[in-house]
Amino acid sequence: MLEEVTLTIDDVLVKAVKGISVLDAAVKSGICIPHLCHVPFLSDIGACRLCIVENVNNGKAKITTSCTLRVQEGMVIRANSEKVLKLRKNIAELLVAHAPNSRAIQDIAVRCGVKEVRYPFHNADCVLCGRCVRYCSEMWQGNAIGFVGRGKDRHVEYPFGSRPDTCKKCNSCVLYCPMSVTPCGEVMKTGEEHLCGKCDSQMAMAEKMPGACVWCETGKSFQCARYA
Amino acid sequence: MPKIKQAGDLETLRQKIQKAQKKFPKTITICGGTGCQASKAGEVIAMIREVILKQGFGKDVYIRSTGCHGFCEQGPIMVFEPGNILYCHVTTEDIQEIVDKTIHHGEVIERLLYTDPVSGKKNVKEKDIPFYLAQDRQLLNYNRLVDPCNIDDYIAIGGYMALAKTLGSIKPDAVIDEINASGLRGRGGGGFPTGQKWTECREEPIDEKYVICNADEGDPGAYMDRCLLEGNPHLVIEGLLIGAWAVGARRGYIYVRKEYPLAVKHAKFAIEQARKYGLLGENIFGSDFSFDLEVARGGGAFVCGESTALMASVEGKVGEPRPKDIHTVKEGLWNKPTVLNNVETWANVPSIMLNGASWFAAKGTQGSKGTKIFALTGQVKNTGLVEVAMGTSLNNIVFDIGGGSKSGKAIKAVQTGGPSGGCLPTSHFQLPVDFDTLSAAGSMMGSGGMVVMDAGTCMVDVAKYFLNFLQDESCGKCVPCRLGVERMLEIITDITEGRGTAEQISLLEDLAETVGETSLCGLGKTAPNPVLSTLRYFHDEYMAHINEKHCPAGVCKALIQYAIAAEKCNGCGSCKRACPHGAITGQKKQVHIIDFEGCQKCGICIGECKPGAIMVN
Repeated sequence: MLEEVTLTIDDVLVKAVKGISVLDAAVKSGICIPHLCHVPFLSDIGACRLCIVENVNNGKAKITTSCTLRVQEGMVIRANSEKVLKLRKNIAELLVAHAPNSRAIQDIAVRCGVKEVRYPFHNADCVLCGRCVRYCSEMWQGNAIGFVGRGKDRHVEYPFGSRPDTCKKCNSCVLYCPMSVTPCGEVMKTGEEHLCGKCDSQMAMAEKMPGACVWCETGKSFQCARYA
Repeated sequence: MPKIKQAGDLETLRQKIQKAQKKFPKTITICGGTGCQASKAGEVIAMIREVILKQGFGKDVYIRSTGCHGFCEQGPIMVFEPGNILYCHVTTEDIQEIVDKTIHHGEVIERLLYTDPVSGKKNVKEKDIPFYLAQDRQLLNYNRLVDPCNIDDYIAIGGYMALAKTLGSIKPDAVIDEINASGLRGRGGGGFPTGQKWTECREEPIDEKYVICNADEGDPGAYMDRCLLEGNPHLVIEGLLIGAWAVGARRGYIYVRKEYPLAVKHAKFAIEQARKYGLLGENIFGSDFSFDLEVARGGGAFVCGESTALMASVEGKVGEPRPKDIHTVKEGLWNKPTVLNNVETWANVPSIMLNGASWFAAKGTQGSKGTKIFALTGQVKNTGLVEVAMGTSLNNIVFDIGGGSKSGKAIKAVQTGGPSGGCLPTSHFQLPVDFDTLSAAGSMMGSGGMVVMDAGTCMVDVAKYFLNFLQDESCGKCVPCRLGVERMLEIITDITEGRGTAEQISLLEDLAETVGETSLCGLGKTAPNPVLSTLRYFHDEYMAHINEKHCPAGVCKALIQYAIAAEKCNGCGSCKRACPHGAITGQKKQVHIIDFEGCQKCGICIGECKPGAIMVN
């Protein structure tokens, strides 16, 4: 028999198996916490920071990522408080301004309420979520790709720049890449990037019910816990 | 070397060493720290040894090459006992004269004495120098007395006595109580109570535990940890031993960055010597306590000073932080309970155990006890390492110890705490320096870097400098730190280059909050501090850059113009010859003119112009 704990997420009592993450517990109970780098059967690294929540302890609220936070008995979580929504929106804005050429990233931006981007767009190809790296190493024990470099120079690369034999060309890295779906319309040219803004219905839903699933592209194509 | 098997052996050994040292009537102490070595202290030491041996003083003069004394600007430094005479800026050419006059006849060489830049007087004795007088050198003082490569020197001044006392008569729980009572807080910057950290680690019901000394000091301008580890490594080792006994660890690591080759060398050497004496290894002092230590060398990544990244690096993985939902005192190195403290924290432990918690707690303020070492750098007359009791005001440090402004321009601000800290204006200089006061003022104690800035410093440019540093040193793992810092830098660059708008200030504040709240590790969480503190105290400067497109300090190149004052120019032509861009024209003895188009604002002409005719607008 698996041990269960009860915690509160957004004022709702949720039962969850001991040891799972708060993000999994929330999604399984129908509360959506937007996320990008989390894949249900892979380890969590807390890199995209979209799934931040407030963990209230002794009256003090601490911001942390829900994917790396394990459920505990009596925990009080605020997943969609005003502060969290604002910070999450700012992170989504940074992401979409950095790499607008992806349906998944555009969806996340809409989901988090980004209506305008206050920074000049960078047309980057990678958001360094690390889904490909972890899938390759953890699912296939391939270790064919990894992170290279630090800070601004960080990128995903084969060891020493050439494809190793452990890469079986399985294509999983491409399947799990959020940059592999073109945005609505067509691929934006450099200098013409914008928010595609075609998901008004999603936006209205996200605004009215911040904890509801909007059937976003990230969830559909990229293994949201809801589909797992 | 005989092994020390019990506390009595240590006492006997100390008396023996002291007796041997007393045979020398004269002692010369020469600073051989990294700072002085850069001023060729190595050659000076080798030469004075040679000259003294040649002249037959070998049995009269004891030459001790020590670690850093903290007065690095005056290096190489030489102190003579008896007499306490201090010579500074000693070169190899001075050696013969020093041996002939000072060692032979006890005469003082005026030329080599230290001149106080404030009063202009020469000081003969080391203890009369105002820079030292205003300090409270509890830890740094040992550096003058100890050759870091000679364990006997450390034992002679009472080294390892605290360990003998602790292992002999104090139970681990009582050690932790003592540290708790002393109020010692982490010197690395966070200021977490050390005793509490040890308690949490001790309570973990696992046999395998670790202690780590964090010597990955990377703040620009700060070198307190380097000085302690390379000047007196046994003090740190003794602290680690006591900590390991208290929490129940059997292994420890000293994590040193590779940019500190001397500290790595001295730490390794000290560990070797301690092993030979049986102070590291099995059954220390005949007790059932066994402990061994190793040096782990870092690759020079700033982020590896963060606890989880440091542990990943020791494990041989990429030095990246991981989420700290479970603290390192529970799951640290190899997922085992680990106590990680800064060099200075460990160095404070032996004297607390020897003199008692109340001795330590007598100094300092309500929330911060003891003394703290600061690296005082920037536009002050006396730069170097400064140790003062917690609660000393910034005024005392900058003006009394530092001697005030070097350039003659008014002092404007002091930057404390490195890239994670902030800039405090002169109106806050009366604040006592301790963990809580500095945090409340929007800065941070940090590891103890203090950069003094005068009116010639542009605060927007300072914020830009630190953001640039953080962008290079961020590991790039999490979005807010990687992309947020990049965007903040973009905005600040816009402002310094005259493209800034008033809306960008509110965007900057909004972004700073996001980066600070949501980043994965301490580096990202404190990354906005330089921006936020300059925005808070120097808002006018930002607005001048934005509204008037003017840099008040004359630093931001896009907003300044060089011009020659016609009434001052004597037409000597030196600026014309020096200009690498050929932007200055003019006939001999005629007023010269700078061509704005060609001028690259490098500032070379300012240094060349004798009448001071070149102005920055």
